Amino acid sequence: MPHIQLLPDLLVSQIAAGEVVERPASALKELLENSLDANSRDIRLDLEEGGIKLIRLVDDGVGIAPDDLKLALTRHATSKIASLDDLERVASLGFRGEALASIASVARLTLTSRYAEAAHAWKVGALDGRLHTPEPAALARGTVVEVRDLFFNTPARRKFLKSPPTEYAHCDEALRRVALAHPECAFTLAHNGRVSRRLAVSDWQARALDILGEDFAAAARTLDEAAGPLRLYGLAGLPAYSRAGRDAQYLFVNGRFVRDKLLSHAVREAYRDVLHHERHPAYVLFLELPPEGVDVNVHPAKTEVRFRDGRGVHQFVLHVLERALGGCRESSAGASLPSWVRDGGEGAPITPAASPAPAYSSHPLGGGGSGGVPRPWTQQPLHANEPAPYYQMVADALAPPAEIRNPQSEIGAAPPLGYALAQLSGIYILAENAHGLIVVDMHAAHERILYERIKTAFDARAVASQPLLIPVVFAATGLEMAIAEEAGPALAEMGFEIAPVSPTHLALRAVPAMLKDADGERLARELLKDIHEFGLVGVHGGAMHARRNELLATLACHGAVRANRKLGVPEMNALLRDMEGTLRADQCNHGRPTWFQLTLSDLDKLFMRGQ
Amino acid sequence: MLVLKTPKDALLKPLQAVAGVVERKHTLPILSNVLVEVVGGRATFVATDLELQISTSAEEQGATDASFTVSARKLLDICRSLPDAEPISLEIAGEQQIKIQSGRSRFNLQTLPARDFPKLQIPDGEGLSFSLPQGLVKRLLASVQYAMAVQDIRYYLNGMLLSVQGTRLTVASTDGHRLAVDATDLEQAAVEGVDVILPRKTVLELGKLLGDDDEPVEIQINQNQVVFRRPNFELRSKVVDGKFPDWQRVIPVGHDKVFVIARQRLLQSLMRAAILTNEKYRGARLALTAGSLRIACSNNEQEEAQEELDIDYDGEPLDIGFNVQYLQDAFNNLASDTVQCSFGDPTSSMLITIPGDANFRYVVMPMRI
Repeated sequence: MPHIQLLPDLLVSQIAAGEVVERPASALKELLENSLDANSRDIRLDLEEGGIKLIRLVDDGVGIAPDDLKLALTRHATSKIASLDDLERVASLGFRGEALASIASVARLTLTSRYAEAAHAWKVGALDGRLHTPEPAALARGTVVEVRDLFFNTPARRKFLKSPPTEYAHCDEALRRVALAHPECAFTLAHNGRVSRRLAVSDWQARALDILGEDFAAAARTLDEAAGPLRLYGLAGLPAYSRAGRDAQYLFVNGRFVRDKLLSHAVREAYRDVLHHERHPAYVLFLELPPEGVDVNVHPAKTEVRFRDGRGVHQFVLHVLERALGGCRESSAGASLPSWVRDGGEGAPITPAASPAPAYSSHPLGGGGSGGVPRPWTQQPLHANEPAPYYQMVADALAPPAEIRNPQSEIGAAPPLGYALAQLSGIYILAENAHGLIVVDMHAAHERILYERIKTAFDARAVASQPLLIPVVFAATGLEMAIAEEAGPALAEMGFEIAPVSPTHLALRAVPAMLKDADGERLARELLKDIHEFGLVGVHGGAMHARRNELLATLACHGAVRANRKLGVPEMNALLRDMEGTLRADQCNHGRPTWFQLTLSDLDKLFMRGQ
Repeated sequence: MLVLKTPKDALLKPLQAVAGVVERKHTLPILSNVLVEVVGGRATFVATDLELQISTSAEEQGATDASFTVSARKLLDICRSLPDAEPISLEIAGEQQIKIQSGRSRFNLQTLPARDFPKLQIPDGEGLSFSLPQGLVKRLLASVQYAMAVQDIRYYLNGMLLSVQGTRLTVASTDGHRLAVDATDLEQAAVEGVDVILPRKTVLELGKLLGDDDEPVEIQINQNQVVFRRPNFELRSKVVDGKFPDWQRVIPVGHDKVFVIARQRLLQSLMRAAILTNEKYRGARLALTAGSLRIACSNNEQEEAQEELDIDYDGEPLDIGFNVQYLQDAFNNLASDTVQCSFGDPTSSMLITIPGDANFRYVVMPMRI
């Protein structure tokens, strides 16, 4: 049997590199984070062959002192933290002191840096796994890192690399993630000598627009809310802009891109009621909290985090998003551009769009070829926070019999969804508002209205519980037993009674009356699992709630008007007013939009008027 | 070759009796067929879904021996819609076809060979065998079958317990929320007790086959099969492989809040009140005070129904909630004119019995509204 021995230093680094440096994109991410930690404001990236041949990063950060230069390429050497205390409240992106050393062990790396006070720059190279002595070099300021021939000495890893275009796409994605969270820094990305992405210094909203495109920005709702030390801001894509994959989901915790189970769950829950379950929402969300509230030292790549108060964070994210998606907030009602593009205010949440939209090209990069193309339609959130009686008043005051109403004189004061004009094919309602034509899917809209109404009615009542004559006994794990016991009172509040009957079996003795015909055992198991993973908070939107809402949704669907039902003008107007007073009325229960606006200018363009 | 020629009625009746077994959709084509066997002037019709098999037979005139299978639904639809006065004749026309003729209507139907028809195996051994008046069996089924579960994952609830212990035959069914049980005495004690669960479909089909009179029906219970036999039909069914819950444990004892009431009067009140129940959980409140029973229902729109009934009751007041559907089910299916309701405290189950009948019991759990 071989003896136990200490591994050579290079091998240790290469093993560590296996965790951190998986492909050019991950090396790129580490380099970018270093630059940002060094307060860079302008970063230029040159890639060759998808970053496999070369990654060159040029920044204007503080640089590295000549004496530290050699140390920078050594394992567990960092300037970012010094003690355990620092680790607990780490505010920089990096802190492990491994990135450069890891990259140096699997690539030919040269590091040139000029410290702010130094007379000239110094250069150090780690070629063929050996550290060279620093030598003077020419550089105005900042740092230049060159990573050549990634994995040249680890052929096994090299085999796992994909084609240069694929690797480039990964690098680009890595840059997008970093750039989204750091609008204060300009980025330039060049691939094989051609500049492919140029991002100017801006605020987060403009940066999101640059990176995700105006389609997303127009179909997203801006949110910015704080509660105590927590702040959540960003763009939440409307359900109509959902994706088939999870590709447009950017979640940042303190400027760090993460894929966190807890946060993703909170987001999904918030979207649950408005999104078809096979669709995925698109969003860019930034969560800020004090560094001590979150532990980032969970995973070498730092895409996983752990929250000290996970339950609180979950609840906060869920509620902020729910409110934003529910249309509770006053939002812009005007043209197709999101309000912030027009205002350009720094982090300004949402401003009513009283001002007309200026030319799109005023924005640094958004103005290109696509900026001037009109969007054929658009959808604005409704002012659902207005109490319904208000609209009733307006409607009463403004709605004389439809035949004699003169749209010209009243349209200025019309409610957001306007007044019904006619019904199309027994399916759609055509209405006119201040901006033009509105097309409403009658069944979808009515379904949502009924659904929300039924839900509210059920929420208002105490949960009726149906005790079982013959309890459902099922084998449970020790964990499930413990949760059932611990959460007993909360479960009772929801109409459940789950009690142990033996050390290994639980009995479901009562279920909510509404779910009496559901599969009791599965429901109980899902419930206990939810409680375990997300605490009792999560259960509010968890399995039980989902099942109940499914039932209510069927009720609503059966109750809603069907296609080919002839509606009179007063009926249609009543439906429009109901929509304005209903939460989440912009989407039907399955996440499809319930209405579209076709503005006058859109129509003008269709007919090429004034051109 | 003419197989049989018979008045419409003589063909339609036995066909209708078996057609209920045939499921509408099948992966095995022959299961949608009915087996027709004519032997010595007696025609037998057999249909099966591999769990349940019903065969009926009738004396037919002018019959030649033959056997074949043919689509049950088509044959039934044809026979049903032919004119009443004309006799129907069935002929074998070639390898895989039969011809139906009546008056000037003619139909050719495809057949599948009779030897491929999957008849249920007749198990070894006699098992337990006894006879009961068919009317009595029918009444027993009717008094409990509505409490069977429908497609519950606890598969053993999707059926009816048939239990014979000594001279006692008990039937019981439950869906986990309420339980109905009834019983009768046999003339001869069974040598050993037996408990089987009849599948839901078997119970429903059996109820249709049995008549109301006192003619005997022979019942045979084997390990995994039951047979109900009359001269004109035989129902053979597999039993559900499972253990029925111990129903005796859920029958409450010592309930002291008791009243007797006319069944129809209570049922009518419940039906009226139920109009304003919540669509999804149909809760009704029963408030019991000396001399009166008040039933109250309300729905999501805050609408409310109240019914008040005078009853002969002088016990403690009680306020208790129920799923009104469960109460209606019981009162709807009972034959008796009066019923007795017994309560304990608001969290314990309610017991419905028939005055002067020690056998029938219906237990329903209250609902916390």
